[in-house]
Amino acid sequence: MICTRRHAVWLGVCAVAFVAGSRSVLAQPTATVEMRGSPRGVRIWYDPVGLAVSPGTTVRFINRDPGNSHTATAYHPANYDRRQRIPTDADPWDSDFLLPDEHFEVTLTAPGVYDYYCLPHEMSAMVGRIVVGTPGDAGWEGSSNDKSDVSEEVLAALPLVQRILSEGTVSREDGS
Amino acid sequence: MLRSTVFAFGFIVTAAPAAKAHDEQALANAPAGDPYVKVSDVLPLPEFIPGLGTLFVDPATLPAGPFLAYDRDGRLSATIYMTPFDDLQNGTSFDGLNIGSHTVSSTDIYYNAGHPGVDKPHVHVVLFHDENAKDRLAE
Repeated sequence: MICTRRHAVWLGVCAVAFVAGSRSVLAQPTATVEMRGSPRGVRIWYDPVGLAVSPGTTVRFINRDPGNSHTATAYHPANYDRRQRIPTDADPWDSDFLLPDEHFEVTLTAPGVYDYYCLPHEMSAMVGRIVVGTPGDAGWEGSSNDKSDVSEEVLAALPLVQRILSEGTVSREDGS
Repeated sequence: MLRSTVFAFGFIVTAAPAAKAHDEQALANAPAGDPYVKVSDVLPLPEFIPGLGTLFVDPATLPAGPFLAYDRDGRLSATIYMTPFDDLQNGTSFDGLNIGSHTVSSTDIYYNAGHPGVDKPHVHVVLFHDENAKDRLAE
């Protein structure tokens, strides 16, 4: 390959643009939730199951379970006509099925409590909760009081908002 | 003695049609033919599932199966049944299920929290067809 002066200038411009772009990406807060499962599929879970982030954080859901597929699906009427368990101003999301090592990202801006579930594993209480911002933020919406659309096992699996806020992340009691 | 012989003959006559219910040789190597389909072609699951291998199933037999489990070389290694807890609890029985091979070296039974295709928490009943089958399906 012959590298001319014009090529060199163009490459330099691209390099500057890449570095600038990288900095802007790095400036955006990010967090990761892993989907996990035990070898025989006896247990499946989100790690962490509870997560506190600031408004504008991009949350990446990634499937680290080599033997199963998972979803991260917000409780919202737009998703299978479920009762809403995310803030009113928030956009509902559904990752669709993620095969091992696939990921999905969503940026959460509206302050409040977001509950989500795994489509094929809700019956096994594979659910998670993300708290965006704090109760003092304008427009904050706390956790849903509705108990008609989820099982007792699901409600028990969702960490308390105060605990998430105080600890930042909450993993399952059994260490998984 | 005569009664035993008659009973044995009767058993053979009775069992013979079941033994011919499918062609074992046709299922010995992947891909299993019609009506079986590769599970990963129709459901969002990995093509090779650690512990279960590459699965084929006749969709009409869901959820119980049999699921035919092949190793990475395409050799039939196990037959698996998946029976949801609440179906069993509500009185559903799964009788006369087919089997991929009539040679069974060992059986594992364990809980599974669910996956696409059989979402409900259920039991995996795994019939291994040779002594090394479990190792070949592991990875």
